[in-house]
Amino acid sequence: MTSRQLLIRDLLVLLAIAGWGLALPYWGSEFIVSLALTCLMYVALSSSWALFCGTTRYLSLATSAFFGIGAYSGALSLEHMPWLQAVGLGAGIAAVVAVVMGAAVLHLRGTYFAVLTFGMTELIRHAITYFEKSVTGTVGRVLAVVPERDTIYLTVLGLAVLAVATSIVVRRTRFGLALAGIGADEQRAQTLGVNTRWVKLAGFALTAAFAGAVGAAMSVRWTYIDPPTVFNPFIGFQTVLIALIGGALTLWGPLIAAIVFSLLAETLRLQAPQVYMMTLGMLLILSVLYLPGGLASLRWGTLRSWWSDTRAWWTERRYEWSGEKERVKRRAREQRLA
Amino acid sequence: MSIGAWLELITSGLITGGIYALVALGLNLQYGLMRILNIAHGEFLMVGAYLTWMLQTSLGFSPLLMIPLSFALLMALGLAVHWLCFRRLSATSPNLDIFEARGLMVAFGLMFLVQNAANWAWGGELRGYDFLTQPVKFGAAQFAANKLLVFALALVFSGALIVLLRQTLLGKGVRALMQSPTGAQLMGINTRVLHPLMFGIGLGLSGVAGCLLSMAYTISPAMGEPYTVTALIVITLGGFGSMGGALAGGLLLGVVEAIGMHFTNPSLKALLSYSVFIAVLLLRPEGLFARKGRKA
Repeated sequence: MTSRQLLIRDLLVLLAIAGWGLALPYWGSEFIVSLALTCLMYVALSSSWALFCGTTRYLSLATSAFFGIGAYSGALSLEHMPWLQAVGLGAGIAAVVAVVMGAAVLHLRGTYFAVLTFGMTELIRHAITYFEKSVTGTVGRVLAVVPERDTIYLTVLGLAVLAVATSIVVRRTRFGLALAGIGADEQRAQTLGVNTRWVKLAGFALTAAFAGAVGAAMSVRWTYIDPPTVFNPFIGFQTVLIALIGGALTLWGPLIAAIVFSLLAETLRLQAPQVYMMTLGMLLILSVLYLPGGLASLRWGTLRSWWSDTRAWWTERRYEWSGEKERVKRRAREQRLA
Repeated sequence: MSIGAWLELITSGLITGGIYALVALGLNLQYGLMRILNIAHGEFLMVGAYLTWMLQTSLGFSPLLMIPLSFALLMALGLAVHWLCFRRLSATSPNLDIFEARGLMVAFGLMFLVQNAANWAWGGELRGYDFLTQPVKFGAAQFAANKLLVFALALVFSGALIVLLRQTLLGKGVRALMQSPTGAQLMGINTRVLHPLMFGIGLGLSGVAGCLLSMAYTISPAMGEPYTVTALIVITLGGFGSMGGALAGGLLLGVVEAIGMHFTNPSLKALLSYSVFIAVLLLRPEGLFARKGRKA
């Protein structure tokens, strides 16, 4: 397929999925809509995460910080301005914070970057908790003005579609190529004339804006917010997990993994929350070890090579356990002596 | 404040600092030698604490007897984890950067797995037992005997590890591997033996730390995560890969936390340690005590 055909295919698939999502509130039950809402939230979060962090290999754990900032600014501004503006404000503030944070930390690579973004997330969470406790004297906030369920659903659906559409478009622009270049070899990209500093800042701010907007849109769903819920590091972890298990370099990987995860979460979490988390950990380890490209890189060839690997391993074990290996060794030794 | 109160404050800081140092040394060994940033390190500390609690309450084992036992058990666990996960990971990763990122993800998976397995097996309540709770007087200051014991043992184990690394042939090999992996391998140092062994010793130390911790404090399945974060802070303070730095950084952080909490507000503790952490990472990423031109 040529690049143009690929673009048309991707857009058509996105359109079909968006159509399904749009029709869902009219026939689905309350439960299915809320399931779809969680699913769409993670689609938006992990697609936008993969857009910057997947391609450049800057592993950011700060998603929950941007999510929480968006949630707080959306919740506080909703009484004074219309809905879409409140969501936009959440995105804007998160992007500004990301620019400030990025200017300080984006020159660090690898583990340093991951650990530092995690530390900053915790710092923001503790700072807001302390501020709420000592200055305003509250632990959380109850949201009085709440839009209708369908409005929230449509907004989150719109954000998810926008996130995937942005990744489709960005891949084909100069900016997207610069991001991929940074991921492959940052110094070489610099030598070839990419202003890596600005590209990284812009990419980080774009990711943060999506997380902030999703946070602002989802906060009203909960009607009561406090720092431990909206700055929950688990939101950040799960975003990263979904993107990595789905395949951070692929376009559809995060979407597939988000759907799988939401279903898994709903079926397991209520009956056995620990089992759900253990499954999550196990899946993460297995996918990093055996499928480093993610679910979306799974092909028939991968399955076939696993099968042949397992058979080779088993043949080796049988050779060893049957004592044949020892016998061959002994025979070789005897021949050497003789 | 009287001298006795100051003494109590600083000693209580040193006691927590001793535990921090012990946890951080294990983590530092794993990161400095193998580039595995084991986020799950604190979870293994929790496992050590629970093993001690379980055998103490059900079979009546003395916690002191549990120190070598939990070291051995956790070391075996560490060897198994290394054999199952990190051996394959280092064989399949194309370069060290990718290995580091993937190792971090595997460690996250381990964290979820171990923490929730413990929660499932032992329940989420706080647990604890009494051990040597009588007070000991030093002049005007007064301490609980178990905390002093914990501090002494933490220092002994940290010192033992540092002596092992500085004085023995094994330690020489480990330090050589930290300086230059390729060079060390060319000199005939076997990474296939040393890597699992040191990973195991790192986890064993966290098991010891958990065992010591359970003597003086209550334990819960979520106790591991704060210790992991603190250990990360400590090894950034001391410099990645530097053992003496980790020991000094741990004690320093304990004292800073104790004094800071006393003069401000206990709810600022986390804020304080994260600020120190971020400031050090941004301003002196090579560690507070690093001298130019000398590594490890």
